[in-house]
Amino acid sequence: MPAGLSAVRRFLLPDLGEGLTEAEIVSWLVAAGDDVALNQALVEVETEKAVVELPSPFAGTVVELLAGAGETVAVGSPLIAIDTAGAPGTEERVPTLVGYGPTEAPPSRRRNRRAHRNPSPVEPPRPASRPLAAPPVRFMARQSGIDLADVTGHGPGGTITRDDLAAHLAGAASAGPSTPPPAAGRESRAPVRGVQKHMAEAMVHSVATAPQACVFLTVDVTPTVQLVGQLRRNRHFEGVHVTVLAVVARAMMLALRDHPALNSSWDDATAEVVTKHYVNLGVAVAGPTGLLVPTLKDAQDMSLRDLAVALVDLAERARATRCTPADLRGGTITVTNVGVFGVDAGVPILNPGEAAILAVGAVQRRPWELEGQIALRDLVVLSLAFDHRLLDGQAASLFLAAVGEILADPVNLVALG
Amino acid sequence: MAIAPARVPERGIPEWTGFDGLVQLISVDGQRTVGCPYWELVADVGADQLRDLYTDMVVVRRIDVESMALQRQGELALWAPLLGQEAAQVGSARALRPDDFVFPSYREHGVAYCRGVDPVDMLRLWRGSALSGWDPAVFGLATPAIIVGSQALHATGYALGIMLDGATSAAVAYFGDGASSEGDVAEAFGFAASFTVPVVFVCQNNQWAISEPVRLQSHGTIAQRGQGYGIPAIAVDGNDVLAVLAATRLALARASAGEGPTLIEAVTYRMGPHTTSDDPTRYRSRDEEEEWRVKDPLVRLRALLRAEGLADDGFEDSVTAAADEVAARLRRGCLALPDPPPDALFDHVYAGPHPLIEEERDAYAAYVSTFDS
Amino acid sequence: MSLGQALNAGLRQAMERDPKVVLMGEDIGKLGGVFRVTEGLQRDFGDRRVIDTPLAESGVVGTAVGLAMRGYRPVCEIQFDGFVYPAFDQIVSQVAKLRHRNEGRVAMPLTIRVPYGGGIGAVEHHSESPEVYFAHTAGLRVVTPSNAADGHRMIQQAVACDDPVVFFEPKRRYWERGEVDEGLATTVAPLHQARVVVEGTDATIAAYGPMVATALEAARIGLQEGTSIEVIDLRSLSPVDFETIEASVRKTGRLVVAHEASVFCGLGAEIAARVSEHCFYHLESPVRRVGGLATPYPPSRLERHYLPDADRMLHEVDRCLQA
Repeated sequence: MPAGLSAVRRFLLPDLGEGLTEAEIVSWLVAAGDDVALNQALVEVETEKAVVELPSPFAGTVVELLAGAGETVAVGSPLIAIDTAGAPGTEERVPTLVGYGPTEAPPSRRRNRRAHRNPSPVEPPRPASRPLAAPPVRFMARQSGIDLADVTGHGPGGTITRDDLAAHLAGAASAGPSTPPPAAGRESRAPVRGVQKHMAEAMVHSVATAPQACVFLTVDVTPTVQLVGQLRRNRHFEGVHVTVLAVVARAMMLALRDHPALNSSWDDATAEVVTKHYVNLGVAVAGPTGLLVPTLKDAQDMSLRDLAVALVDLAERARATRCTPADLRGGTITVTNVGVFGVDAGVPILNPGEAAILAVGAVQRRPWELEGQIALRDLVVLSLAFDHRLLDGQAASLFLAAVGEILADPVNLVALG
Repeated sequence: MAIAPARVPERGIPEWTGFDGLVQLISVDGQRTVGCPYWELVADVGADQLRDLYTDMVVVRRIDVESMALQRQGELALWAPLLGQEAAQVGSARALRPDDFVFPSYREHGVAYCRGVDPVDMLRLWRGSALSGWDPAVFGLATPAIIVGSQALHATGYALGIMLDGATSAAVAYFGDGASSEGDVAEAFGFAASFTVPVVFVCQNNQWAISEPVRLQSHGTIAQRGQGYGIPAIAVDGNDVLAVLAATRLALARASAGEGPTLIEAVTYRMGPHTTSDDPTRYRSRDEEEEWRVKDPLVRLRALLRAEGLADDGFEDSVTAAADEVAARLRRGCLALPDPPPDALFDHVYAGPHPLIEEERDAYAAYVSTFDS
Repeated sequence: MSLGQALNAGLRQAMERDPKVVLMGEDIGKLGGVFRVTEGLQRDFGDRRVIDTPLAESGVVGTAVGLAMRGYRPVCEIQFDGFVYPAFDQIVSQVAKLRHRNEGRVAMPLTIRVPYGGGIGAVEHHSESPEVYFAHTAGLRVVTPSNAADGHRMIQQAVACDDPVVFFEPKRRYWERGEVDEGLATTVAPLHQARVVVEGTDATIAAYGPMVATALEAARIGLQEGTSIEVIDLRSLSPVDFETIEASVRKTGRLVVAHEASVFCGLGAEIAARVSEHCFYHLESPVRRVGGLATPYPPSRLERHYLPDADRMLHEVDRCLQA
């Protein structure tokens, strides 16, 4: 090293004994200006454990004593500065001092954390075989008698949050003004439970979350009625009770091929439209305990005959209250036959999670236009309610028209296969 | 230095109670003692070998002193000095054959040096860079035992293995007077005697176990403890390098001849503190330290060499220069020791992959990657 | 005064109060213990009440068992955590079981003091956290102070306790100072009661011994980041004060347990199981644990990566908040 260049090094107080934090300077053995050799004793210090002489880590000339006798110094503080320029035996590398007292937590690196800018990703949602909810939410649901399967989760990974529950309950909460209780005997009370409770909650949830609109179409189904009559006499349909409803169901399957949007759902949590590539057709049935909507799974693969059989079976099971929870779940689109009650039409309410629901009115014999003449024809009113987040009037109408076209001319069943 | 094969005396261990009832070949003032039958065990040790022994002890002391300084400078977390015990360690270690296997305590830096371990590697564990410093198989030297006395059992078991193999080498356990109180050492004596295994127990009785004097560990001598188990024992002046060499050669010869364990009590003195965390001024007197300073092993051998014209200033200067060179190299090596990388935390816990370790390794890496620096 | 000094003062008061209290251990006499916790006691009480023992941990505890049966109240010192294992058999097979074995006719009012934990740059076997082996052993009480005031009170309570107490002293905190009122009655808080050191609302960190100071550091940083963290000093590992923990979980809904000992099968696992059982519907996220790795304690140059620090505790708190 060229003469005149200084290399002043500082000796910091090390941890002298397994976790010590400080030491008191007892006496200095050198002074500023003294030449010191490597390992020459510089100073006497006293720790909690012992009095110790500290040997110099450098050879050179003492520049300055950085702590005074009698002073208590923390481990890591500078004790002495030594100019090592030109001194033989001086190490080139700055010593890495070991033993700095009880290992203090390294200075927090929190402010450098990337995590602050990009929160670590939440675990991806598993396909929900059961509804996900944190324990407190489950508890709330149980207290309120809500089946979590009926609640759509909007939390991370599709979990059901407190807000989801609250929304679910919002419709059920009665906000009516308090009235004086009437005299006994003028009213009866029945607790709301079971199927009625379920239906009420589903309807409230549906209306609360999906904006619903409705389009209507009156169809001349005389040819379909004739077809049904013919099929009933056909040997392949022996024992199978085929109805107009079965044909409607088949028509819906065929129409959905060109209008798949009617078979989709709105996933709020992920902000996605989920289009199903299968059709689980919900069929509204009046059971002894109330309205049920069991589903025909993969109805798109069912022939007219299959549908007819399945519809009869469904109706029987619903009446016998033999529908399982699996039967009642997983629907992608629903048909409801309001005609059995004798009404022309109805504005149905969407089954929550579906894009559309088709109500079929009673087949009525009415005057209609046929080839320029007035004739008595079999007419039915189709009412299609739809989720206006997923579909607009045009999309809904085109689908309805497609269904109507098949019903008006059932040759299309064969033409569309 | 050349190791001459020792002749096993016909009837057991020669009785010689000289200085304080201990085997001694060199007196405190550097004179050869007369009439001790142990002389025949070191008959081959001539001028060159004596100078080599002296050089070894000077270098070993220098390593020790330099390491103390390094700790005081913050380069080592801790150091256990062997100051005063150079003869006990060099004398015994220079008796060892290459095939012998040593189980040291945490103070046998002199033994490690004689076995060929690079002094810088000795420092790894004291610096906290690793929990060991060398490959035991390469040097025939196990990693230092910090659990006091545990190594006595290990040496006994190793010796059992030698015996089962039909080999003629020996295992050697080094431990101190304090360790002789531990149950493990008592059990080692029992097993070694029962199985008649080729083990040598070298107890350096340096008078102190931290602040506890040896009398607290035992009212009899340590040598008598071995005898209580049926193990022949030699009490030797541990500051007499030739006496220690002789006793160890004898014990090794017995072991190789299938005669079973020997206990050597090398009576010496821990001239420094227990470790750099200790303060001997709290429990022992300067007077006692002065008493033992007179018996310094290096002083004694130097006096003999001088008296017999075997060493002059030129020789001493060269020895000092050699020691300085070792110390400088040690210092450079110590400062250059790298810190292990953080993911070394997960290595070598098991022989192969382990699900919990792998999981933690991945989780740790993922955690670290969330920081910028 | 420092934790070490507070323990010294507490031991002194215990010895003054009861002449049957006898200290035993290696280097506890003239040297005053390697951490100076017994400094001056042999000088003032004599070598028949502060007994230097041979170098044998099993010997220390086994002898203490006999002394206890003779009516003494021994306080054993094990020099370092890693050296307790030779005594493990005496502690687990004898000390823990003698009362039960003898249907209450024999008392084991021992205190076994063990400095424990890492963070002091030590060599192997000097930074262990073996406390859970003892917590898992029926018949033993296991406690650990985190600061000087608790140390002063708890050592006296441990000595006075008629059951055996394994008293773990966090050695990295020995030199840390705190206010100690030596005149304070030891009845101010029961030995096994946990303490809410700092209140919070978003999450709870439960820690003991050396980790309490680290948890408080984490809470301080958390507050700067806008997270309100409640810190509990458990103080007792056997029995655990579950009431205090559960009350906190009901308040915050999120719990992180921290200790230097390995996470796997550590005390955090027991607390997580209990809290899941008792506070299930209050948990906004699973109970999380932060602690040592499933590896032996590393060389001291790596210990800062092994030991939990404030960042790692806050990392777990973050995960709780995101759940």
